[in-house]
Amino acid sequence: MTLIGDLVEILGPDRVLSEPLERYLYGTDGGVARGEVIVVVLPETAGEVSDVVKAAKRHGSPIVPRGAGTGLAGGAAPAVPSVVVSLTNMKDIEIDLGNRTAWVGPGVINLDLSKLTRSSGFHFAPDPSSQSACTIGGNVANNSGGPHCLAEGTTTSHVLAVEIVTADGEIVLLGGPAPDPIGLDLRSVVVGSEGLLGIITRALVKLTPNPLAVRTILAGFATMEDAVATSSGIVARGVVPAALEIMDQKMTRAVENFVGAGFPIDAGAILLAEVAGHPAAVEAEARLVEQVANENHVTSLRVAADEVERAKLWLGRKSAFGAVAQLAPDYYLHDTVVPRTQLVATMQKIYEIAERHGVLMLNVFHAGDGNLHPLVAFDASVEGQLDIVHAAMEEVAKVCIEAGGALSGEHGIGLEKRDLMPLLYNEADLDAQARLREAFDPDGLFNPQKVLPAGSRCADLGRPIPTGAWL
Amino acid sequence: MTIAAAFARYVRSAVADTGLPECDLMVAPQTIDELEHILDLASEHQLKAVIWGGGSHQGFGGRIDPDLVVATSQLNRLVDWQPEDFTVTVEAGMRVSDLEDMLADRGQMAVLPELPGAATIGGVMAAGVSGWRRARYGPTRDRVLEVDLVTGDGRRVRAGGRVVKNVTGFDLPRLAVGSFGSLGVIAQACLKLWPEPSTKVTVSVADGDRALATAYRPTAVVEADGVAKVYLGGTEAEVDGQVESLDGTVVSGWSWEPEPTGVVGWSLRVPPASTRSAIERLPSGWRYQAGLGVGEIKAASVDAEGAAGLRAWAESQGGALVIVSGPAALYSDMDPWGTPPPGLKVQRELIRRFDPCRVVNPGRLPGGL
Repeated sequence: MTLIGDLVEILGPDRVLSEPLERYLYGTDGGVARGEVIVVVLPETAGEVSDVVKAAKRHGSPIVPRGAGTGLAGGAAPAVPSVVVSLTNMKDIEIDLGNRTAWVGPGVINLDLSKLTRSSGFHFAPDPSSQSACTIGGNVANNSGGPHCLAEGTTTSHVLAVEIVTADGEIVLLGGPAPDPIGLDLRSVVVGSEGLLGIITRALVKLTPNPLAVRTILAGFATMEDAVATSSGIVARGVVPAALEIMDQKMTRAVENFVGAGFPIDAGAILLAEVAGHPAAVEAEARLVEQVANENHVTSLRVAADEVERAKLWLGRKSAFGAVAQLAPDYYLHDTVVPRTQLVATMQKIYEIAERHGVLMLNVFHAGDGNLHPLVAFDASVEGQLDIVHAAMEEVAKVCIEAGGALSGEHGIGLEKRDLMPLLYNEADLDAQARLREAFDPDGLFNPQKVLPAGSRCADLGRPIPTGAWL
Repeated sequence: MTIAAAFARYVRSAVADTGLPECDLMVAPQTIDELEHILDLASEHQLKAVIWGGGSHQGFGGRIDPDLVVATSQLNRLVDWQPEDFTVTVEAGMRVSDLEDMLADRGQMAVLPELPGAATIGGVMAAGVSGWRRARYGPTRDRVLEVDLVTGDGRRVRAGGRVVKNVTGFDLPRLAVGSFGSLGVIAQACLKLWPEPSTKVTVSVADGDRALATAYRPTAVVEADGVAKVYLGGTEAEVDGQVESLDGTVVSGWSWEPEPTGVVGWSLRVPPASTRSAIERLPSGWRYQAGLGVGEIKAASVDAEGAAGLRAWAESQGGALVIVSGPAALYSDMDPWGTPPPGLKVQRELIRRFDPCRVVNPGRLPGGL
């Protein structure tokens, strides 16, 4: 039987999409890469995922797992013609307030979990800007971050267990509800593995108590340097705010024009700082934020008076990428990270790179953890534009690595940064990563040609791996 | 060349540590390059090696009769400390207490186990143990940003980075935590630091469960043999406010109790909500410390009477009962880990790619890996 015939047998005709338009729609994610889709399937259980994996393997077809497709690094865009497994139909949620956890299907929308648990006093801490659309399965696969990961940690700190379907089609539970599961912590390495190690069919995630009090402060500065100095100064004083976000003037103006969040458009840069926790702590920390801002020549300062105003400020922050549509039809959003102390110098170099390449760059970033998001607005229909953007962004990556940083803070490597990996890791490092991948998926069935550049696996390093019986 | 001659230049007197296992060949590398060479040699000669940090966690896992002991005591340098970035990079043989003392001078903390004794950073990571403050700050694993491993066949590999947020490549640093060296000896690590709270208190209370429900995200709530202590940290106003609602006896600072000791030491791990039930199920005479809200219970007993039943119950809850210390005979009567976890096939495939000659701590992990 054909591959599609086998898949229809497993899922029925309605959950196997093979029309050209359907295949086209699933060929990309939120980024600029596009790949070829053989067929799209929409399984609803781990058993179905397992059967799909076995069928694809039989036919020698690679598999690309996918959530809502909001990723920006090409993680869900097939690098070779592939079966796309969309997990968006797997939306079961089972809340356990006693243990402050929830079992969720990979298709559950991030924000839906927090909405569901809000009245009980809890939320799911990772909050990517795309949280009203992205899935928790995608968050787990990419170890997603978000503004509030500064204090609470990224997704990996909030995942206790994952159920995966392996490249053999086996359903395996990694981790569990108790602390320190015994044996190698495979759960920790499946988180952030970008669909290369297994297909996540369920995850046990932590729920975080809602803060008793929150204060959100919007500060305007004449220069980016002052904004960054404020952000770094707050952290250096021993305060870990819930979030510390900076926007440059271009981005602030785009956002203000788009959603009218009340951002000061005359400021060279704005800082959105949020402190949360016990009411007494929040009061003291808010005072400290104001004090550090004053020391760094703040030009305007406003504390959100109520929840409505706070929500408006955050809407502004989280609409940043959407707002760019006013400026150009396409955008390329970068994601790099540098040590916090290198922010000012790195930002200067990034602006110089944009100027040299003549691209329109806007900046909004998680200043508290040194996670930069330079964004270039451009028109992909103009020949050569994407190449210029790529060249500029590669230089940005190099500058960040020279500053002691890394290639990606939260978006992942996918296709977009795969070939930049040797900037950060040597032959032995990449070989170790490739060995890890091989242990899970020796044939490279899952999301092939992602994350690791070609030739990462280096046969002549170390001693030969014994064949046959071992241990 | 004989094996002894091959290793001769790494045999160093500083290895004379207390509690070391009987072994003719003991070495102490002074650099990571030396560690690479030692493990390459060990692979060449098919030796079984035990890695020795402070000796605090050697009771975990399957017993090994080693051909070689590699002490990390001389790999104890500070590599890089960026106080304003809240990151520190150290060699694995540095003692936890030395690191925390150094950090405390600048009001920072690595939030590793509170009474570490001679334990080293590498040992704490390899054994995957955490302090009680995990209730507020997460487990040790949450703080490992970068790791340099020397694989069983002597290759140095680095993963992660010295930044607080990073998804560049697979998360080997987290995987190394709790790996007992099976993927490689942890040679160096970069840890994320936390600011030390300006005010810290310990409140003794009558009812730990009630305190846990009352306090807002306490640093830790630890119950030892029926007596509970709540550890709080934060601004003065915040801590004072919390203390008032707890109704207990307050002392300033965090006052940690030594772990219970006995012939056999145990680590009981259950879902947080099952902690009380776990305490009630401890066989009579067992002493314990329980992290309320966490589900980790450290216990000590004179023998293993009743342990099988307790283990069966813990496993039925999704947890485990692990032996952390005890006489050698106990390990042959009772698997130190219990029922092996799912995913052993992948674990085995991983280990053979990082330690093909199975040199480092063979048989230490669950399932005899």
